[in-house]
Amino acid sequence: MSKVIGQRVTRYDGMSHVTGETKFVDDQVVPGTLTVKALRSPVSKGKIKNLDISAAAKMPGVAGIITAADVPCNAFGLVPDQPVLVSEDIRYRGEAIAAVAAVDEDAAMEALEKIGLDIQEQQAVLDPLESMKEGAPQVRPEGNLQMWDGHDYRQVNLGDVDQAFEQADEIVESTHLHPSVEHAPMEPICSLAVPHAGPKLTVYTVSQALYFHLGMLCGILQMEPGSVQCKQWKAKTGSAWRHNTGYADVNYIGGTVGGGFGGKNDIMADHVAALLALKTGRPCKWRWTRAEDLLYSTFRGAWHITIKDAVTKQGRIIGRQMTSIRDAGAYASLNPYVVEKHCYLGAGPYFIPNVRVRGYCVYTNKPPASSMRGFGITPAAFATEVQLDKIADRLGMDPWEVRLTNAFRKGEYTPTKRVLNSVAMIEVLQNLAAKAGVELPGHLKAMASTQERG
Amino acid sequence: MAEGEFYRAASPREAAGLLAQHGGAARVLAGGTDLMVAVNKRKFKPQVLIYLGDAGMSGISQEGDALLIGAATPLNEILASPLVADKAPLLATAIKQMASPAIRNAGTIGGNLANASPAADTATPLLVLGASLKLVGAKGEREVPLAEFFTGPGQSVLAADEIIAQVKVPAQSAEAKWAYRKVGKRKAQSLSVVSVAVYCPLSGGKVSGVAIALGAVAPTPLLATEAAGLLNGKALDEATIAAAAKAAAEATSPIDDARGTAWYRKRASEAVVKQLLTELAG
Amino acid sequence: MHTLELTVNGQTCRVEVGLKTTLLEVLRDKLYITSPKVGCNTGDCGTCSVLLDGVLVRSCITNALSVQGKSVTTLEGITEPGDIHPLQKAFHEHYGSQCGFCTPGMILASKALLDVNPSPTRDEVKQALSGNLCRCTGYVKIIDSVLAAADEMKS
Ligand SMILES: Cc1cc2nc3c(=O)[nH]c(=O)nc-3n(C[C@H](O)[C@H](O)[C@H](O)COP(=O)(O)OP(=O)(O)OC[C@H]3O[C@@H](n4cnc5c(N)ncnc54)[C@H](O)[C@@H]3O)c2cc1C
Ligand code: FES
Ligand code: FES
Repeated sequence: MSKVIGQRVTRYDGMSHVTGETKFVDDQVVPGTLTVKALRSPVSKGKIKNLDISAAAKMPGVAGIITAADVPCNAFGLVPDQPVLVSEDIRYRGEAIAAVAAVDEDAAMEALEKIGLDIQEQQAVLDPLESMKEGAPQVRPEGNLQMWDGHDYRQVNLGDVDQAFEQADEIVESTHLHPSVEHAPMEPICSLAVPHAGPKLTVYTVSQALYFHLGMLCGILQMEPGSVQCKQWKAKTGSAWRHNTGYADVNYIGGTVGGGFGGKNDIMADHVAALLALKTGRPCKWRWTRAEDLLYSTFRGAWHITIKDAVTKQGRIIGRQMTSIRDAGAYASLNPYVVEKHCYLGAGPYFIPNVRVRGYCVYTNKPPASSMRGFGITPAAFATEVQLDKIADRLGMDPWEVRLTNAFRKGEYTPTKRVLNSVAMIEVLQNLAAKAGVELPGHLKAMASTQERG
Repeated sequence: MAEGEFYRAASPREAAGLLAQHGGAARVLAGGTDLMVAVNKRKFKPQVLIYLGDAGMSGISQEGDALLIGAATPLNEILASPLVADKAPLLATAIKQMASPAIRNAGTIGGNLANASPAADTATPLLVLGASLKLVGAKGEREVPLAEFFTGPGQSVLAADEIIAQVKVPAQSAEAKWAYRKVGKRKAQSLSVVSVAVYCPLSGGKVSGVAIALGAVAPTPLLATEAAGLLNGKALDEATIAAAAKAAAEATSPIDDARGTAWYRKRASEAVVKQLLTELAG
Repeated sequence: MHTLELTVNGQTCRVEVGLKTTLLEVLRDKLYITSPKVGCNTGDCGTCSVLLDGVLVRSCITNALSVQGKSVTTLEGITEPGDIHPLQKAFHEHYGSQCGFCTPGMILASKALLDVNPSPTRDEVKQALSGNLCRCTGYVKIIDSVLAAADEMKS
């Protein structure tokens, strides 16, 4: 017997959870902490013509206000395209334009009302299918479609799909709409930044990706002038979180997360709290309201997926053509990575020898979507499973049989030619049937992942 | 910052007097489950609050054939009352489906009615049971049938210096049939998308004095009098039920909101009325 | 400002509050009792649940001045040094807590139930916890924990 496998293990943090001793970010008590509130855009797209914080800055209880001008490097993210605070071009409703730190919530909210904001509203594009069209309103200067090596899509090719369609007995097509989904962790987005002597900070974070975000945060703050060049950092996609100078300036404390589910894989509050702490010299806490969290935190973006399968009379899928469109919202965030993973696993846990999956990452004037449990694989699985039922329907076959017939076997490979040496899809399905009280016919019960495909 | 006054009224009359004294600036506070949500969302900034929790307005008693429920009685206390279970099970059934235990421990029946939401869940059972309200003002008191209380979303006949002191609920007749259904996004913690209460006294196999009320489908909780009229003196057969359900849906004037569309609400109104009447006929 | 006197976890306290102040703000921001959490501030999620004179309420929508003279119990109040409540033990042992954010509210809502109904059915546990949201566990382990605690408390 293993000491661990198959055994129950006590959670190391379980006792402090049940006694209420666990300190989440919002539970950190630092005397003198200021309350942060943000001015968010009321429009989905527009240009800021005038931003006047002079009256707000004079309001009682206000300790500091920041705008884009206060951000040392105002572009961050995996593809560093997202500003911390908008300087000119507003790309989604709710995008932060300025932030106030004040002695309490009332003072902060009253100051926000005194900020002069003049916006020239522009035509927004909210539907990804519209955004893909020639002449659609431009979401970002880089274009409305994410580029991959000169292509405005990511494509995975395996075998000869066209030939598979020629050989098919049936061609089954379907279109699937997957709505956006909010992670809704019980703990809303929150950040507490505490300044120390010297240009040093402690940031308490809800981040699910500490090292990733520490690097990004140092990039934004340019904590050691000269050690991290903003321009180089911007030019080298992928290097955003890898530079390792400047870390000594920021003590990043996290790991106690009140639910994330992929919703805390992007910096949402740490940068603003940190900038205000540096500006005011006082601890600053930015806790989003539940409404802000639901409206403006990242979420699983919506998908539009079409599948066309080449199928034999026996229910074997011999070819798949899949086109998937991801509504990414206004910024890259983790969307390109989500689309890539979607393409790699577009065939689901089934062996299809000829595959062409094309994934588009389309920008729209909406809050940026990002990761959520499964990084794009979940919608692929959803569409695939619905499609398999359609195939069973068309062929008059048992849906269990269609699945078992196509399930991966040992030594087969994914659309990216990753050979699978340890698979158990068939056994999982057989177990599932047993648990659901479904009696599988003998030939399906006799199947095994280790049998070579006949 | 200047902070306003907080009073703990010792009686309904004192509360009404304080309301009169402070003009439009004062608001009464009961459980706070509606009012404090508005405060936290910065939709309402209190200047003067008059707390009703110590005003002797809580409790349930019987007077002749009616129940008297103090307006500041928490919903869960009504739910736990053997008197209510016996004399007004329709009301208890509706309350059981409201919010969740913690909200019902604080929220009061008077707050639910005074808030005058079209989706107020105590309103539909109370309407079909013919409840009335004792309103206490600075200068005197009056009794208003609940059917005449609501005037619009968030609006009622309450004068600026008046509070609801008591809810009077005629006891259900032991032979009467009744039914209640709430359609929400989920079972708990969810406001009604449509709610229907039916009260159906019987005499000799025929219905008489039947009442149907619908919630969340009009600017106020709605008594479907025309639909009820189609049922009186009739046997509850399929055609009669269908006609009444149709008339009830026609009486609604729902809106689209975050919880549901007008289209859905109208259809759900008809379906639920039909469902409940069919259950009662069966 | 108004002076509010109340008892929190057996200790009498006096704090200054305004008309808008909530009980949750008194507990967290004035008394530094942080087990009740700010999950929504609108009464919807249950992370701020506390017992008020033994009755379960939402501290985020409880006006502070309305609790004058009353007694409040938070999760901190049912823990004694070296000794935890059977509910806490059961939530720990039966994996009723994952991220822990909903846990203080869940345990107090469960305590409110067991205080009046020591042998609840599964369905009664569900009803009692219907206002407390958890995004991690899927609730099954939470209900298991409450039933296990009820069993232990009886024996
Ligand atoms: C999460 C959640 C879920 C909910 N679910 C439901 C639900 O399912 N169904 C439903 O109907 N409601 C629901 N509600 C709304 C609310 O709980 C009820 O309306 C409750 O009964 C209000 O009572 P209260 O004592 O808390 O009112 P308060 O908030 O104290 O007061 C509400 C309003 O009525 C006034 N008022 C209070 N008492 C009186 C009085 N005696 N005379 C005159 N005016 C008075 C106040 O000035 C205020 O304007 C829900 C609320 C929340 C937060
Ligand atoms: S914080 Fe009170 S119910 Fe959510
Ligand atoms: S354990 Fe995370 S919300 Fe319940």
